[in-house]
Amino acid sequence: MTRPLLEVEDLAVEFDTHGGTVKAVRGVSFALHEGQTLAVVGESGCGKSVCVQSLVGLVPMPPGRITSGSARLDGEQILGRETVGGMRVRGQLIGMIFQDPMTSLNPTMRIGDQIAEPLHMHQGMRRRDARMRAIELLELSQVGEAEKRSRQYPFEFSGGMLQRVMIACALACEPRILIADEPTTALDVTIQAQILSLMRDLQRERKMSLILITHDLGVVAQMADEVVVMYAGKVVETGSADDIFYASGHPYTQGLKSAMPQNQDRRAQQLEPIAGSPPDLFDPPTGCGYFERCPRAMQVCEAHQPPDFDLGKVQHRCACWLHDARATHDS
Amino acid sequence: MSTANPSELDFSPAPERAPQARLVRPSLSYWQDAWRRLRLNPRAMISLAIVVGLLVFTLVGPMLWRLDPANQDLEQLSIPPGAARTAHIVEPYTAWRREATPGTGLRLASEATTQSVRLVWDAHPSARAFEVFRDIYPPTHPPTQSTQDALGIPLGEISPQDGLAFEDRLALEPITYYYHVVPVGAGNRLLSDARETIEVEVTRAITLEEATQRGLVSTGKKTQVGDEVELAWHPLGTDYLGRDMLARLMYGARVSLFIGIVAPFLYVLLGVAYGSLAGFVGGATDQTLMRFADFVVALPFLLFMILFKVLFGIGPGESGIIPMLIALVILGWPATARLVRGQILQIREESYVSAARLMGSPTGYLIARHMIPNTLGVILVTLTFAIPSAIFTEAFLSFIGMGVAPPTPSWGSMSNEGIKTMLVSPHELILPAIFISVTVLAFNLLGDGLRDALDARMRSVE
Amino acid sequence: MWRYTLKRLIQGLITVWFIATTTFFVMHFVPGDPLSDARATSEQIRENLEARYGLDKPLYQQYYIYLRNIASGDLGISFTQQNREVNDIIREHFPVSAALGVLAVVFAALGGILWGALTALFRNRMPDVVIMFLVVLGVSVPSFVFAALGQLSLVTLNDWLGVSVLPVAGWGSVQHLLVPALVLGLGTMAFLTRLMRSSMLEVTNADYVRTAKAKGLNATQIFIRHQLRNAILPVITVLGPAIATITTGGFVVELVFAIPGLGRFFVQSVQQLDYTVIMGTTVFYGGFLVFMVIAVDLVYGLIDPRVRVE
Repeated sequence: MTRPLLEVEDLAVEFDTHGGTVKAVRGVSFALHEGQTLAVVGESGCGKSVCVQSLVGLVPMPPGRITSGSARLDGEQILGRETVGGMRVRGQLIGMIFQDPMTSLNPTMRIGDQIAEPLHMHQGMRRRDARMRAIELLELSQVGEAEKRSRQYPFEFSGGMLQRVMIACALACEPRILIADEPTTALDVTIQAQILSLMRDLQRERKMSLILITHDLGVVAQMADEVVVMYAGKVVETGSADDIFYASGHPYTQGLKSAMPQNQDRRAQQLEPIAGSPPDLFDPPTGCGYFERCPRAMQVCEAHQPPDFDLGKVQHRCACWLHDARATHDS
Repeated sequence: MSTANPSELDFSPAPERAPQARLVRPSLSYWQDAWRRLRLNPRAMISLAIVVGLLVFTLVGPMLWRLDPANQDLEQLSIPPGAARTAHIVEPYTAWRREATPGTGLRLASEATTQSVRLVWDAHPSARAFEVFRDIYPPTHPPTQSTQDALGIPLGEISPQDGLAFEDRLALEPITYYYHVVPVGAGNRLLSDARETIEVEVTRAITLEEATQRGLVSTGKKTQVGDEVELAWHPLGTDYLGRDMLARLMYGARVSLFIGIVAPFLYVLLGVAYGSLAGFVGGATDQTLMRFADFVVALPFLLFMILFKVLFGIGPGESGIIPMLIALVILGWPATARLVRGQILQIREESYVSAARLMGSPTGYLIARHMIPNTLGVILVTLTFAIPSAIFTEAFLSFIGMGVAPPTPSWGSMSNEGIKTMLVSPHELILPAIFISVTVLAFNLLGDGLRDALDARMRSVE
Repeated sequence: MWRYTLKRLIQGLITVWFIATTTFFVMHFVPGDPLSDARATSEQIRENLEARYGLDKPLYQQYYIYLRNIASGDLGISFTQQNREVNDIIREHFPVSAALGVLAVVFAALGGILWGALTALFRNRMPDVVIMFLVVLGVSVPSFVFAALGQLSLVTLNDWLGVSVLPVAGWGSVQHLLVPALVLGLGTMAFLTRLMRSSMLEVTNADYVRTAKAKGLNATQIFIRHQLRNAILPVITVLGPAIATITTGGFVVELVFAIPGLGRFFVQSVQQLDYTVIMGTTVFYGGFLVFMVIAVDLVYGLIDPRVRVE
């Protein structure tokens, strides 16, 4: 494979709170290739949003703090920088959309102006041109009657429509990467599919890379080329979508899968929840974060952090002692 | 990765993990929990202590400090706070027989006391007469035409035929005065260049007879002219009529706190009754009741406070407290009524009320078990915030002379009187102002604390 | 929007009617006789005076005439000042109060927004702690204390500099206005600062601010284009009641600084029991406040599109 577009290495983020320091992200590495979709999967609080938002400086500092790591876009360090090569990291190189479109747009500003804002600010476009471009972007995002809609305010839109507006907004400056932070979680199921297919079409058209943060494996299956599974601030497994779905190597990934409804299996299926809750990140465990909940835990897991094991294929790696040669594959 | 020696690693299955320790804490009732949270709020606790202190000051204070707030101490007018003052015993006043006083220039003929200040000076060649001024501020240098007005109060014009002397007996205070004697030339022009100035420190004086009359002289001891006696002690000073500030502040606190606490209590009660009636009955009755409340809210509050005060009048012997109370209640209730109605309507829709109703709870039970406990917190917070605003209203009205009638002290009316003497004796304004401010501050902070402790929905963003 | 405006105006008129009616009956039932003073020396004079003020007619007729006069903008003739119309009195004294009040509202609003935004930006740091301490003081100190302190510091300042920088009391120039207006606005400024601060903090954590940041806007652009406008909204909603507070608070300031405004005149006429002036001024003030609140609401509609469309 060619050199990845975005390479994140050993990223660690902490938060200072009244209760102490939360180690939200503890050494995360992953790579994103040109034109591909990378899904970051994990349950609430596993650090997936913080990890990705810290790349573009959206984590409030203080209380947040990046303690180590690097992130290179085309070989250029972007971590902690506002501009790279004369382009703004946020908005121009990387666009973002968020979970709740209803609150993510300024309620007192016209839709068109909100889309035109980055064009006007970053590309020095004249206001009128920026507004015209905003209407084109709305059309591109399949918002009907774009011209009229551009003069309306967010409260006159439905959630799905607003997410289209958010997409238009994020794509305004034609970024290399689009980060979508749980883009469909707040939407109706039918709208979800529309938004996902819109994102996929736009991505193909523009050869854009996509980082998709989600806890929904269904969305992952639909969209992702590569998958990063996170747990307790660490990456537990990375691989292609096929690897993750059909050859998952980590008990946590397997647990996630059995907690997800599937329809290829015609038999009545019992969903299995993962018992317990994630560890306390004020005082993260020295060993494997999943030890407490793992059905296949071994003595070694409690105090020793598992290294990344290569699972044969090129990019399929898993941090679990089960893949050590000495592990007894009893189950 | 792992620094451990791989050979030491144990790859046998881990034993069953202990279930995660459960977070347990004793279950607390709503009020216990609120009290616990309130106790953790230092500002609220300090405020609570201040409120309790104020109540003690008001209720117990007058029993310990038994001075009558209406009693006038004419020897000590407008004295600032401090330790007990002393006075020299002097002979009773006799008319001044002017004798030659040695020395030159403007000088004192005898010791300057609050009884009299006697000045003598020398002749001036071009003086047709002399103008005598008294000032409490040091003179400005050099004397110019523009500072002529700043010589203080003119005491009189002395013609040289009457002798080059002046006796000042005009409301003397035991402070430092600056006397100016300015020759008056032809055409009644003041010869400012020839002005003479003397700094006079006046000592407090009292005659033996007066001292005996006031009980300042202990009967056992023999007191004579020249001795010092201790005057009545006013720890917080006196006002312009010589009334003891501490006693007045205590009695003023009674008025201010009575109105400040009783009026909100009454109108919050009225508001609760009105609001819950509207909320329970609902429908057209609710609409009518609330529309009326809207009208009352629209009445300009302070203007109508004044109008109602006029309406209920100030009868003979009436201090004006009750009319103010009635006016506050008439105008104050709608805010609480709106709030309570809103709460009742909201609670009525809550699923736990529906559940209780489904299980056949009678209305009375619903009200007692669900409605009242769930609105009590909000009502308590409203009450706490209503108190400072009522104290403000009382102070405001008394200040503009529409509140309690003059001899009755209240913090507002004391401020009103204090502002007139603000420049000379600021303590007469500052003391009641501090009491009002500290009281209002304490109730405001207590209200903030209560709101945070009682009701998460109203919690302030901080 | 037009329908909303019309509805609000009709509501306002009904409210003014209620204020006028309440005023009429309150004043009617005030104990004592409006003509009991020395002017009504003989029976004949008394009858003439009664006829002149319409007091000889039955109550319902008096009420009818009163309402008709108010509707035609006539507030009657003063009781104590011969031949002086209440309208003239208002025309003479209200502009003074209005100038004072407008300046005070401007001070309060600008100061409140500025300090509130500042404290939110410096949250929990030195400027925030200091300003919030002053704010707590500001809402707890009565207006007349501010007025007295304002005057005292003016006296001290003038004394210290040896020249009269700003006049201590009286009326006539902009200099006369500055300190009284500032003093009058202080309490409201403190209240608005507190409101603006919490509103700013809420807005700072809003999702759309994060979106603006993700678009690549810098802190200043975000503050001006996104935070400020949204944070000011709650401040505007309380501006109506704030104007009422400042208007009536003006009574005290006018008394302390010897400013010939309508507030001071109102207090005087209450002391002299000048019936028509009291009634006229109350109705005038009431109507003024009702329509100020409506005006503020309509302005709010211009700024917040959510209200405008409904």
